[in-house]
Amino acid sequence: MSKDNKEVLYGLYDDEEILLSAVDKANEEHFDIMDVQTPFPVHGLDPKLGLAESRLHIAGFIYGALGTLTAFLFMTWVFTRDWPIIFGGKPYFSAPAFIPITFELTVLFASVGMVVTFYTICGLWPGVQNVHLDDRITDDKFCIAFDVSGQEESFKDKLKGFFSTTGASEVNIKNI
Amino acid sequence: MDQFTFASKHKTVLTAFMIVGLVCLGLTFVVDDELHTRFWTNYLHNSVFFTGIAFMALFTLAAFTTALAGWHTLVKRIWEAYSMFLIPGLILMLVVVLGVVGHLHHLYHWTDAAAVEHDPVLSGKSSFLNTGWYSIGTVVIMGIWIYFAWKIRQISLDEDKNGALDFGHHRRLRIWSAAFLPIAGFSSAAIIWQWIMSIDAHWYSTLFAWYTGASWFCASMALTIMLVSFLKRQGYLEKVTQEHLHDLGKYLFAFSIFWTYLWFSQYMLIWYGNVGEETIYFYERIHNYPVLFYGNLLLNFITPFFILMRNDTKRKYGTLVFVSAVVFFGHWWDFFQMIKPGARLTAMEALAHHGGGHGGHGAEAAHHAVDFAMGFTIPGFLELGTMLGFLALFLFVVFNRLEKASLVPKNDPYLPEALHHHVELHGDDAHH
Repeated sequence: MSKDNKEVLYGLYDDEEILLSAVDKANEEHFDIMDVQTPFPVHGLDPKLGLAESRLHIAGFIYGALGTLTAFLFMTWVFTRDWPIIFGGKPYFSAPAFIPITFELTVLFASVGMVVTFYTICGLWPGVQNVHLDDRITDDKFCIAFDVSGQEESFKDKLKGFFSTTGASEVNIKNI
Repeated sequence: MDQFTFASKHKTVLTAFMIVGLVCLGLTFVVDDELHTRFWTNYLHNSVFFTGIAFMALFTLAAFTTALAGWHTLVKRIWEAYSMFLIPGLILMLVVVLGVVGHLHHLYHWTDAAAVEHDPVLSGKSSFLNTGWYSIGTVVIMGIWIYFAWKIRQISLDEDKNGALDFGHHRRLRIWSAAFLPIAGFSSAAIIWQWIMSIDAHWYSTLFAWYTGASWFCASMALTIMLVSFLKRQGYLEKVTQEHLHDLGKYLFAFSIFWTYLWFSQYMLIWYGNVGEETIYFYERIHNYPVLFYGNLLLNFITPFFILMRNDTKRKYGTLVFVSAVVFFGHWWDFFQMIKPGARLTAMEALAHHGGGHGGHGAEAAHHAVDFAMGFTIPGFLELGTMLGFLALFLFVVFNRLEKASLVPKNDPYLPEALHHHVELHGDDAHH
């Protein structure tokens, strides 16, 4: 699927409640929604769009567990094999003293790992130019977008009719 | 149903359990050593545990009210009812106070005047660890708690009658709640030092009050989850949904980790510092009470951490209630291991020097292996029976108070928010 030359018909809503009922309406009429963009997470929107639950937390758990193992095993190796030093009369293998660093590395691995994974999945990396249908979506507008590339004018009119009946405050077409 | 009725069936069951508790206490008294250490430690253990749950419920409620929280509105009557247990709690603690004043028990080493005289540590602490502070402290501090509990409940109940979904009553509630928070913070620390930490009279830890407070909080939250689930099964609280349970579960999860954090901080600093006067506390527990010591972490950290980590386990009644039961028992276990080893040492010394004024150091006695003793090394059937008795008493008082008011605070301005509470982005995909 080419990223270029997509013709998008989108409507802007002023309120998330109106948006949610519009999504319901679109589902009833079997319109294929391309995307919904909102300034903040809207409760109950994901199931309406049929989106699967994110599996990011599973990745987070794995990264965290890796951090735990890395920290604990590394310190164990350093202080018992590689460079044993007696601190304050404690044994070489001083598990309680390893716990704080193990905790920190667990958090670090989990958080950095999840951020990198999330950005990779979303296709966000330095230098990426993102397409904004409308800058106000990052402020106070809620947007439903349909892909209308190569569609008949009558279909576009039908969608415009949908937007006006569901209370969209603005309807535009944009090539992205 | 917004109006709770205390069914006579439940009254009978709870009364039966209270009798079981009394019988267990009586049996403990009979099979005990001559100082009745097991009886008195069991009594103190359960009194402190359930009084603390009542106190923490009030503290939680005050914190949520101050923070303008809304989601908890549907369960706040439960916490108001919990806080009313502070009144019987005071009576329970007064028996311990009477024992301190009248030398009826030998729970606290510092009550032994002859021992204190020859002991530089105990005499150095005697300006705080003395009968006057213990008795007046208990009465005054618990008196203040009861006054706040009564006042906060009073305003809340008046809101049902005379409120009008405005913030008039809520503002007054907020003032009382905000005033209670610092008072509760400082006074609970002082009373925890007196009631529990002074059992190991030579020992002290600056973290102990927080750690104990966190234990009370977890127990209070776990009991709340179980009670909410029970009330729902009885057909009450139908407006309380998975969303509210999810938040209660999050509190249980988060504060179990908080408890572990404090437990570990206390342990690690003492381990690292390696000062004999401080390490004695853990030395005694690790060597003579390993089941208590490691069981504590298994029940209160491993179980809630790994089970409640997932999103969906906090939204399923079965799993959440199971974990709550484990954690509730776990924190009862935690108080058991705080109280028993120290009190047992004190009693062993007192029995060894019977009537004598030697007042030997606890440290000397502790380095000898201590034999297995049911009711000290691990909780026995008598301890479990006593706990069920106290739990029944607690629930009896709570149900009695619940009956006096609507379960749903009708005119709370945050009620609509609680009714529309929704925390899960994915909605209702994990019903029951």
